Amino acid sequence: MRRWEYVIRRLALAVLVLVSVSVITFLIARVVPSDPAAAWVGPRPTPEQIAQARRELGLDKPLYVQYLRYVRALLRGDLGVSVKTHQPILRDLKTYLPATMELVLFGMLMAITIGIPLGVLSGAKRNGLLDHSSRLVAIAGVSMPTFWLGLLLQLLFFGKLGWLPLGGRVDRSISLYNPVQQITGFYLVDTVLTGNWVALKDSLVHLILPAFTLATYAIGLTIRMTRSTMIEVLEEKYIVAARAAGLPERTILFRLALKNAIIPTLTVLGLSFVYSLTGAILVEVIFSWPGLGTYVTNAILNVDFPVIMAVTLVVTVFYVFINLFLDLLQAALDPRVTLG
Amino acid sequence: MADVLVCVENLHVRFRTYAGVVHAVNGVSFDIRRGETFGLVGETGCGKSVTGLSLLRLVPPPGEIAAGRILFNGEDLLAKSEAEMQRIRGRRIAMVFQDPAATLNPVFSVGEQIMGIIRHHQAVGRDGARRRAMEMLEAVGLPEPERLLRAYPHELSGGMQQRVMIAMALSSGAELLIADEPTTALDVTIQAQILALLVELQRSRRLSILLITHNLGVVAETCERVGVLYAGHLVEVGRTPDVFQAMKHPYTQALLAAIPRPGSHGQPLPAIPGTVPSGLERIPGCAFHPRCPFVMDVCRAEKPPLVSVGEEHTVACYLYPQGDCHLHGARA
Repeated sequence: MRRWEYVIRRLALAVLVLVSVSVITFLIARVVPSDPAAAWVGPRPTPEQIAQARRELGLDKPLYVQYLRYVRALLRGDLGVSVKTHQPILRDLKTYLPATMELVLFGMLMAITIGIPLGVLSGAKRNGLLDHSSRLVAIAGVSMPTFWLGLLLQLLFFGKLGWLPLGGRVDRSISLYNPVQQITGFYLVDTVLTGNWVALKDSLVHLILPAFTLATYAIGLTIRMTRSTMIEVLEEKYIVAARAAGLPERTILFRLALKNAIIPTLTVLGLSFVYSLTGAILVEVIFSWPGLGTYVTNAILNVDFPVIMAVTLVVTVFYVFINLFLDLLQAALDPRVTLG
Repeated sequence: MADVLVCVENLHVRFRTYAGVVHAVNGVSFDIRRGETFGLVGETGCGKSVTGLSLLRLVPPPGEIAAGRILFNGEDLLAKSEAEMQRIRGRRIAMVFQDPAATLNPVFSVGEQIMGIIRHHQAVGRDGARRRAMEMLEAVGLPEPERLLRAYPHELSGGMQQRVMIAMALSSGAELLIADEPTTALDVTIQAQILALLVELQRSRRLSILLITHNLGVVAETCERVGVLYAGHLVEVGRTPDVFQAMKHPYTQALLAAIPRPGSHGQPLPAIPGTVPSGLERIPGCAFHPRCPFVMDVCRAEKPPLVSVGEEHTVACYLYPQGDCHLHGARA
């Protein structure tokens, strides 16, 4: 089938992208004036210890040998070891990545459920009250700096109102009395799987502020994108024809017009999903969210290059796959699009 | 008058634009009888499409119906609520448009579109809607309806698309079909087929058709009666043969004279001097007077009423004896 041919071709290209990214991060890691061997040994090392660490880490070999070793390990699924904590990075990622994914996915869900309906209605009733207010939300969403908004929300919902927790994934009392059993690493899923309803409610409450902070940009973008494409689509003759056929306004807006208007919005949403993976860094620090952002922030502060490289690769993989997924989705939604 | 389905009385439609108020339709009155094809002819911008959309109350903003009555089966459509109108659209009055490629939704299959309309208007399940859709596609002369249901609009030819549109329009048993330039975007041979289809459907379903067109040939072939529209005014109404052979209004005469005929090769076509008014400026008196070769003082002063000039033939022109404007004058 054509579609499979296309997917295979795109995957081959993805390999090329991943190889380039790995080469670039690898070279940057070696060029930067920091000695991984010294970091490996810890504070106050002796020259002998450093020399030994250099041998253990293979840093005495030529650069291309080091790279090939690195790639060979990658192919075995070994992302290396943190030079700071001496922990296997893969194991760390298994705990941090789901936390971030949960945050980002929840944020995306907010962007879809808030952004798309607001965009549709504001495009349908142009210059109405809803349109003006949702455009204000959109502008605010795309232009407000994340860290500032996050702090503001904490001040309001934790400080003044006391409705929502300040940060973290669950309350300390939950970790003590109703600990979340790690299965997938997604607390919302794990608590449901184990029937731990107290923890489910608590994790939901903890998700709201950081996810919303992370999603404001995507919400704003989604509203604006959906609105402008809706305005265009609603001018089309097939919409007049649908009205002439007596179809109700709800069907016209949310089915007949939206399926046409949603394609550019999905592209934007997909890209902001990847953007959120890195955007999560700030949000996680503000909300002490034990995710990829917190993890990579510590790695950057400690010049822990194996970790930085691993996270970069993971984000690249997401980027490549989301893009492929978006192209396939577009072809599925619009029969006129051919994959080629 | 025998079995009138639609009666449009003194319809006024205007558009409030930034440039000013555009008077698109100015006091148009006509009847459509049950089972007849009524043609509405005129140049681009004369208000014929807007008249058609008015019947469904779908004049796009900033347009609005400013005055008049539209009686459908004796009920005034302009007095109905939006919810009531939605039950009339598609179910009792349907419409097909000029450009079938643009009137079909590109991202839904033919089956999804036609079945969506059927299921909205009729209490049928998926299978029932499917059967009904296939019947309709067959009724409009499309082969292999089963396969067609799965096809997307861009995979069909223009003629097939228009047949699908007609099938969709008539799928819920409408009594009146408004056909707005249904053949203009099609090849000449396909045009003839679509017109033949409309005539056939009209006979088999006792359908009334309002055929909106600028093509006088199309009118001659399909319409029992015709109304000639100029700048939002109905200037002449009558049975098609009467209007075409014994045209009375100077505009109708000029329009028919401008049709190229065999034997007139090499001679310049007679054109109507001047241009069509934009609708922004209001022309006092008869709208055609600035371009009329027979203009008189009275034409500049007062709008001419419709007067009877023959059986079922009325014209809005001072060239014909006035005072005879009883029943026919009020509405043609």
